[in-house]
Amino acid sequence: MFEFDFMRHAFMGAAVVSVLAGTVGWFLMLRRQAFAAHALSHIGFSGAAGAVWLGFPPLSGMVVFSLMAGFVIGAEREGERGIPAQRDSTIGLVLAASLGLGAWFLHMSNRGSSLATTLLFGDVLGIDMPTLKALCGVAVLCLGLLAFLGRRLLFASLAPEVARARGVPARLVSVVFMAVAALACAACAEVAGALLAFSLMIGPAATALKLGLGPLAGIALSVGLALALSWGGLMLSWVTDAPVPFWIGLGAALSYALADLWRRVRSR
Amino acid sequence: MADTEKVCCQPERGLVLRDVTLTAGSTCVLRDASLTVLLSGMTLLSGRNGAGKSTLLRAMLGLVPLQEGEILTHGLPPAQARQHIGYMPQSVTDAALLLPAVSHVRAAVDGLRWGLPLHLRPRREEADRLLALTGASAFAHRPLGLLSGGERQRVGLAQALAGNPDLLLLDEPLAALDHAGQEQTVRLLEDLTDRLGIGIVLTSHETEALSGVVTRVVQLADGGLHVRV
Ligand SMILES: Nc1ncnc2c1ncn2[C@@H]1O[C@H](COP(=O)(O)OP(=O)(O)OP(=O)(O)O)[C@@H](O)[C@H]1O
Ligand SMILES: [Mg+2]
Repeated sequence: MFEFDFMRHAFMGAAVVSVLAGTVGWFLMLRRQAFAAHALSHIGFSGAAGAVWLGFPPLSGMVVFSLMAGFVIGAEREGERGIPAQRDSTIGLVLAASLGLGAWFLHMSNRGSSLATTLLFGDVLGIDMPTLKALCGVAVLCLGLLAFLGRRLLFASLAPEVARARGVPARLVSVVFMAVAALACAACAEVAGALLAFSLMIGPAATALKLGLGPLAGIALSVGLALALSWGGLMLSWVTDAPVPFWIGLGAALSYALADLWRRVRSR
Repeated sequence: MADTEKVCCQPERGLVLRDVTLTAGSTCVLRDASLTVLLSGMTLLSGRNGAGKSTLLRAMLGLVPLQEGEILTHGLPPAQARQHIGYMPQSVTDAALLLPAVSHVRAAVDGLRWGLPLHLRPRREEADRLLALTGASAFAHRPLGLLSGGERQRVGLAQALAGNPDLLLLDEPLAALDHAGQEQTVRLLEDLTDRLGIGIVLTSHETEALSGVVTRVVQLADGGLHVRV
């Protein structure tokens, strides 16, 4: 299957996106922001629809839209003294507004259903060289920012009050992290589609956390699993003709179920 | 009074409040309050439920703004003082309960740095030292969520000790502990003050368990502060 250019591009694109999704997803799950991952990729979908309508590449619209949403979501006030932040409400409403816009964009671009299908389910086999380069750029930027934030982000995620008391700028860290998450979601949506982008972010990360691993081992496993899911999905879809997102979504749920089973057996 | 004189000569060891007005929501915690007190040894901040003890500790760390006046801890305003202060909040974290306790302490050890750690060993050793110090080594590798309230408090204490503070602000470190647990913790705190010379300010309603141990009591009531040595 590697004699075809589109297959090689697909595998490379999937690799880049998996490393990104595994890492960013681990922090998202650690901070209990699964809903944000879900919302950001759908918000990206609206942006992509808008970009197509205006004649730009979908990835650019995705990046712009989810980045804007990321800033709004990240700027949400941190929860105070046991009152959790009202993050879910903010995310839900930002999501609703942008899906509304997305419907409008689809309507205007006159290519409603076929475009929607591509954006929602992704087109990993349609990745061309410019897209691949853009994906690499996004990945390098995100991982660089994440490496820079790394320890403060971890501290602020594990013990928010203590971290703020020691002088960690929790709000800034949270906003920058949401921007990184937004970019990562846009990149994932390019490969797995808006509907399933977050399965690649959430499945592997949730599995790693379920196993009770520390940060380093957890992120490593999360990245490894994301790679296994996306490459496995590509191979299986080559063999079976079922779409890639089908295998990724199923595999994500399966790996989590297995981790859960493993924990139960071990704690006997 | 002797206490006040000492801190005037060495403000770097004490807490100074000048005309402080502090509110939490609609509750007035301090109204135009002034206080000078040494913080060596163990200081008990007492007051009824809702008097504003937690709020005052958070104000010392700059987590809640003052309406008026200033607070100096060891001669420094909150933003600088907190570099020398370890803090354990009243409600221990409920974030990331699946991660092992030791990860929580390691994150606190170098959580103030930007970038990735180049050397993991020193951080691990420091976290292990803190966990041993607070008697939490035995359960350090279990997920935080599976620990009992008392065990979690020991992990929280290890977190507060990260960064080698010379003052600890502990919000209700004796709550959720049975009699034996309280005695253990009190002995541990005594040890920290005696052996390491760390000053401790704690809030607690367990005056019995603390009698004879605390160096002084600061009473918070009706918007004012009073020291009893
Ligand atoms: N962010 C806030 N918004 C509104 N009210 C607040 C806020 N923080 C604290 N309060 C109120 O301020 C008062 C003081 O609260 P605080 O937690 O400091 O009391 P406390 O002395 O620590 O009580 P306890 O002994 O129960 O721990 C309480 O009446 C509380 O309801
Ligand atoms: Mg309190």
